[in-house]
Amino acid sequence: MIRSLLTLLGPAHATRLYRYLAWLVASAVLQGLAVALLVPILHALFAGNLPLAMTWLAGLAAMVLLTCIAHYQQAMQGFALALLVLTTLHERLGQHLMRLPLGWFNSEKVGQLSRSATSGTLMVTGLFAHYLGPVVSGVVVPATVALTLFVFDWRLGLTAVACAPLIYFTHHWSANAIGANDARVEAAASEAGNRVVEFARYQQVLRAFGQAQRGYRPLQAANRAQQQAGGSMLAQTFPKLLAGGLSVQLAFALLVAVGIALAATQQIDAIELVALLALAARFVGPLAEAAARSGLLRMASNDLEQLASILRQPALPAPATSLPLTAPGSLEFDRVGFAYPSGPPVLKDLSFSAQPNTMTAIVGASGSGKTTVTRLLMRFFDASEGSVKVGGVDVRALSSEALMAQLSLVMQDVYLFDDSLEANIRVGNPDASARQLAQAATLAGVDEIVARLPQGWATPVGEGGTSLSGGERQRVSLARALLKRAPIVLLDEATAALDPQNEAYVQAAIGTLIQNATVLVIAHRLPTIMAADQILVLDEGRLVESGSHRQLLADNGRYAGFWHERQRAGGWRLKAERPSL
Amino acid sequence: MTTALDTLQRPVNHLIRLGVALAAIGALVNLVPFIALTELARLLLAGTVDRQALWLCAGWVVIALCLGWMACGAALWLTHLADHRLQASLREAMVGKLARVPLGWYSESNSGAVRKGVQDDLEDLHHLIAHHAVERTAAIVTPLAGLVWLASLNWRLALLAVLTLPLYGLAYTLMMRGFASKMQLLDQSMTRISAAIVEFVHGIAVVKAFGRVGQAHRSYQQAVNQFGRQYAGWVRPLLRLEAISSMALSVPVILLVSLGVGSLWLSRGWITPLELFAETLVAVVIPQSLLVINQSLTAQRTAQAAAGRIEALLSIEELPAAPRYSQPVEHAVTFEQVEFGYDAAQPILKGIDLHCKAGTITALVGSSGAGKSTLAKLVPRFHDVNAGRVLVGGVDVRQIDPDQLYRHVGFVLQDAQLVHGSVADNLRLGCPTACDEQLQAAARAAQIHQRILALPRGYQSVIGDDAIFSGGEAQRLSIARTLLADTPVLILDEATSHADPQSEALIQDALSALARGRTVLVIAHRLASIRDVDQIVVLDQGRIVECGRHHQLLQADGAYARLWHASAVEVSQ
Repeated sequence: MIRSLLTLLGPAHATRLYRYLAWLVASAVLQGLAVALLVPILHALFAGNLPLAMTWLAGLAAMVLLTCIAHYQQAMQGFALALLVLTTLHERLGQHLMRLPLGWFNSEKVGQLSRSATSGTLMVTGLFAHYLGPVVSGVVVPATVALTLFVFDWRLGLTAVACAPLIYFTHHWSANAIGANDARVEAAASEAGNRVVEFARYQQVLRAFGQAQRGYRPLQAANRAQQQAGGSMLAQTFPKLLAGGLSVQLAFALLVAVGIALAATQQIDAIELVALLALAARFVGPLAEAAARSGLLRMASNDLEQLASILRQPALPAPATSLPLTAPGSLEFDRVGFAYPSGPPVLKDLSFSAQPNTMTAIVGASGSGKTTVTRLLMRFFDASEGSVKVGGVDVRALSSEALMAQLSLVMQDVYLFDDSLEANIRVGNPDASARQLAQAATLAGVDEIVARLPQGWATPVGEGGTSLSGGERQRVSLARALLKRAPIVLLDEATAALDPQNEAYVQAAIGTLIQNATVLVIAHRLPTIMAADQILVLDEGRLVESGSHRQLLADNGRYAGFWHERQRAGGWRLKAERPSL
Repeated sequence: MTTALDTLQRPVNHLIRLGVALAAIGALVNLVPFIALTELARLLLAGTVDRQALWLCAGWVVIALCLGWMACGAALWLTHLADHRLQASLREAMVGKLARVPLGWYSESNSGAVRKGVQDDLEDLHHLIAHHAVERTAAIVTPLAGLVWLASLNWRLALLAVLTLPLYGLAYTLMMRGFASKMQLLDQSMTRISAAIVEFVHGIAVVKAFGRVGQAHRSYQQAVNQFGRQYAGWVRPLLRLEAISSMALSVPVILLVSLGVGSLWLSRGWITPLELFAETLVAVVIPQSLLVINQSLTAQRTAQAAAGRIEALLSIEELPAAPRYSQPVEHAVTFEQVEFGYDAAQPILKGIDLHCKAGTITALVGSSGAGKSTLAKLVPRFHDVNAGRVLVGGVDVRQIDPDQLYRHVGFVLQDAQLVHGSVADNLRLGCPTACDEQLQAAARAAQIHQRILALPRGYQSVIGDDAIFSGGEAQRLSIARTLLADTPVLILDEATSHADPQSEALIQDALSALARGRTVLVIAHRLASIRDVDQIVVLDQGRIVECGRHHQLLQADGAYARLWHASAVEVSQ
């Protein structure tokens, strides 16, 4: 718990956390001491010695003052700490996510992440205000009370202290069971949540197949699993929770019994015992409260731990200083091998280089490793073997800024932020002038989209940019790249069909992009491939052929086969079965 | 007015009521140890030698403690059970709702809101159902009964026990001003954080590619900062007040007041030491109850806000259901004077009249934004028209049972939309009862069978885990899925053209198999694909501008001819 908090806060703020905890404990100890003064005061009152009671009351007043000061301190510091955790947590999380290899992200992780980030936020505010305080004082106050019992009567003190392990172990046992169950419930809830989001997101297809009306089975199964997890949590944890609380009640009962036994054998003064029983009652109350709250604290700490574990994920190593580029605009793969974590090798012994201002086309069947090549260049992952060089330097020796300054990317799967169209294009270069923006927009055909949209440039393009068509999104992606003007352009050519209008814009924009840049293109269209200075043919992660279109055709190898098949296919067609209708 | 939530809560109300009854009993029993302890103290102070009487008191303490604890536990267990059942029925109702709202609703809301509704709001509701009633009952009954008992001993004692409360009450009233609206603001900020982080993580590839490390999670950080500011702005001024006023409820302060004032009254002979002893036992329990009530109220407000959102989700207008359903008799598709727009004031489609004979292929062409997809999606009733009618087999789609409609109208979308599950699960979406042979036959016809067999676990491979498909492959899988569903009417979004050549030829074969004998409405992007279809419909700004066969339209030398010539360069390549 504390460890998770420290991870979330970072080393810079550790002392603040410790200072807060110190005040929290101090306030609880003082509270325990103040309560212990109950004994001499009651004793004096029962004995009818009012002046003595007054003296002790003055002592109590002093102790109460100290308690209040400590209480005030811990409340204020707790609040400040909550705010601090809140902001640093998200800041550190955001920064760390940026440094994680892209391979870490999958749909489950993303779902869990957003869940723990939101609930974690609430937890943090609640933690310092409601959860931590009662649990700490719930443990420290009885402990202080038990120790002061020693001062008054060692036998009762011993009883209280002897009960501690019993209480601790029953509680520990029940808390563990609850924690384990809670983790299961949490996992089931996360799965069900993902299914619901999937259900909403794929509503079109699910509806088209009648799944929405009849009930989508994986969602039903996930809901059932969540139900069962919740049900078994109820069935299993309640007896344990009950037992955990009972052990506290029994400890008090034991104190009463020992007291009576002592009184019955005249080993303790009756007045003293009555006063001590009042104190003993205070031994139980906070403990029961702590036991009740510790479940909540456990849940909070599960949330925090999930967030902390993300921060503990190793980031892609970054060099302290970036090496200067020796050959800007060039690319090189030197005997590169790569496999995704726990997957088969994707690239094997791949070597090639691309000179500045040339165009290289990568072709190959799906799954041949084309996309992985661009991912390694952008350092979404690190190569398992060999080295990937950009501008003459191994990408691992470049800072992220230096590397990205060299590269621009036009992807097939274009992500649009939930922001205005302009902001989405300015992602490419936030400092671009209005003229540059207009130029890029004209070239990529975005100005035409702007003219059509109700609010023009300021139109929000919605979550995931859903309000633009595939072709339009492609154009936005091109405009981004045009605006960035990086010396190297990585282009993943669209496999999805574009209507003639979109196609014309895309071709014009690509034509401009490649004039002043080194281009590496994952090519699907024949004109693009034919225009390349160098064609790399990949097959199952190996480079099987390379050369210009003319050379490769002359070689009459794999590429030539490709080419001829493509010439024959020429796109699919739907035909009317009966010619006359 | 009975809300949807009330209706759903009805079956579990008896559990909640039983829980409250048990909680009240438990709270009363919890008072017994105090009475027994006071009796014990009386006996001890009287210097009794009757051991049996002493042990009897001790026995009462133990039994009452255990029984009280168990009664409270059982009460909570019952309400948790109620909560558990209610959540199940609510989740079911919400998911059912999601399936019946018009698809247009989805573009207005985002995944964060859906997730929040189905997961987080239900969790917030947990407190209202599982804790609130029971804890509030216990928190009210115990101090009240305690005060009654004290008053029965000596009325001054009851007064003494509540002496510090007015102070706290005053501060509390001050603190709670504007609570609901503040809470609502915080809640909205929370939703923004949730949406922002989802977006941040989904867009991380773009963010990385453009090296905008600092700037890219701007909106995420903004959402967090906004939450932080609102929270701090609200809590900071109250905190000092809260920190000071809560001391009025702290055990040391209550002891000081009880014993201090008690001593004074003792000296005047108004109370006895034993009465003061009883008073201290009860007085320290009261603030605890108040804190429970206070926290319970906070949680209750959160829960009520959640209940409100659930309620709102459950009352979204659904696609209207017809009083009586009819069966389509054949498989023609007809549009009659159709007008449609997400916003009725800005129609996307205007005056559409179109008839697609059963068993023919109709292609919709036009520039992007012309309304091709929107028109096609009216057939499977993704939206309802604002005016006019869409008929399948001579029956208005609104008059066809939704269950029947999907058996008639199938769909291959541009985005293949493979769900997280095995390949077989995905294929069976449209036909859950299909046997393995049928699956394989469909996969073969869609030219994807061999590819599936090459996966590590074949048909049992899970999409996204060990089955990673290229765009063309996903497309073929979705074609196989549609083949299996075997619907006589088919909406087809032309998708892949620049896949690798092999894939492309295979898709062509798959589509030909799929289109055979069906009424097909194809949203075409490349004119070359559809030059031989039965009917080509040219859309422009939501209107049909031309309709006919390829050669007729070329001869007419209108919009289609222009599109054709524009794309001729592309085709010739």
